[in-house]
Amino acid sequence: MRFGIGWRRELGAAILSNLNRIDVIEVLAEDHTNANVAEQRALRFLAGSVPVVVHATSLGLASCDAVDPKRLDAVARVVGWIEPGAWSEHLAFVRWGGIELGHLAAPPRNERTLEGLARNIDRARQVIGMAPALENVATLLDPPTSDWSEPEWLRQVAARTGASLLLDLHNLHANATNFGFDAKTFLRGLPLDRIRMIHLAGGRRIEGGRILDDHLHDVPQEVFDLLPGAISDDVDVILERDGNYPRFGELLAELGRARDAAVRSAA
Amino acid sequence: MNLETFLARLYTDDALRSAFLAAPLDTALAEGASPSEAESLAAMNPESLTLAARGFTRKRDRRAALSETRPKLVPKRD
Repeated sequence: MRFGIGWRRELGAAILSNLNRIDVIEVLAEDHTNANVAEQRALRFLAGSVPVVVHATSLGLASCDAVDPKRLDAVARVVGWIEPGAWSEHLAFVRWGGIELGHLAAPPRNERTLEGLARNIDRARQVIGMAPALENVATLLDPPTSDWSEPEWLRQVAARTGASLLLDLHNLHANATNFGFDAKTFLRGLPLDRIRMIHLAGGRRIEGGRILDDHLHDVPQEVFDLLPGAISDDVDVILERDGNYPRFGELLAELGRARDAAVRSAA
Repeated sequence: MNLETFLARLYTDDALRSAFLAAPLDTALAEGASPSEAESLAAMNPESLTLAARGFTRKRDRRAALSETRPKLVPKRD
């Protein structure tokens, strides 16, 4: 297993200064789709210095709508420059009929969405050369017309698409809080052998005691507590922080806590 | 009716969302939902829908603000 952090410009210097404590870096594809030659060179340098995985947010693969070929080509360019061992996207839709939501929306968990997702994964596999690891999303709204629970949805996704899973433990914690289910029971319902990546993040409480997954806060203890039930030897664990940055030592300490939780899991 | 389309509109169209929150079943049916789809839509938690829509609006606004200053790995020179 490897432990790493999402690349953000604000963290770049600190990341490069601490590569002896970081096993893997996750680069956001959409931050670099229009990279100039110097930036492409920098991405290759980064990938030559440390294992890198690519994370996409704009494709909206979990949709009845066909994935936008231009957006897919843009992600493929970044993957081509970096040549990562893996890339990932969310189980979400982000647009429809010209309406851009601006963020990830949980789709109805039903056969129709699954068929669309499978078609989009096939397209992505053809263009990019490998299927993405597919990430569970946090949501404030339980998607209407869903026929499956979220664990069943993830099982169906893994079985139908053949793709691996990226399990975001904060998204799981947020949904468990927002909809009143037990996160550890949820974990036991997942095909754990299909999990290749794990995200750790933090959010904040909003109205009604709900949790908003904003990536602006420390990883809560509840998320670390879920890690031993999800991790295995082949998994990359990535810490996501999108702003409100603490001292970098605090982010390294969070990675250390994740390593400790993994060691406890193995013991 | 495509459910994703309707959800996307509920998240982004304030007038449609207001109409839906006032009369969820009737609005969903008027927009082309089948009776079972309309029932499922009408069962959505209204506060959650409002919070989700607010969250999407903030994200769109933030992305628009960041679009001119998107962080790069190295400064653009061209």
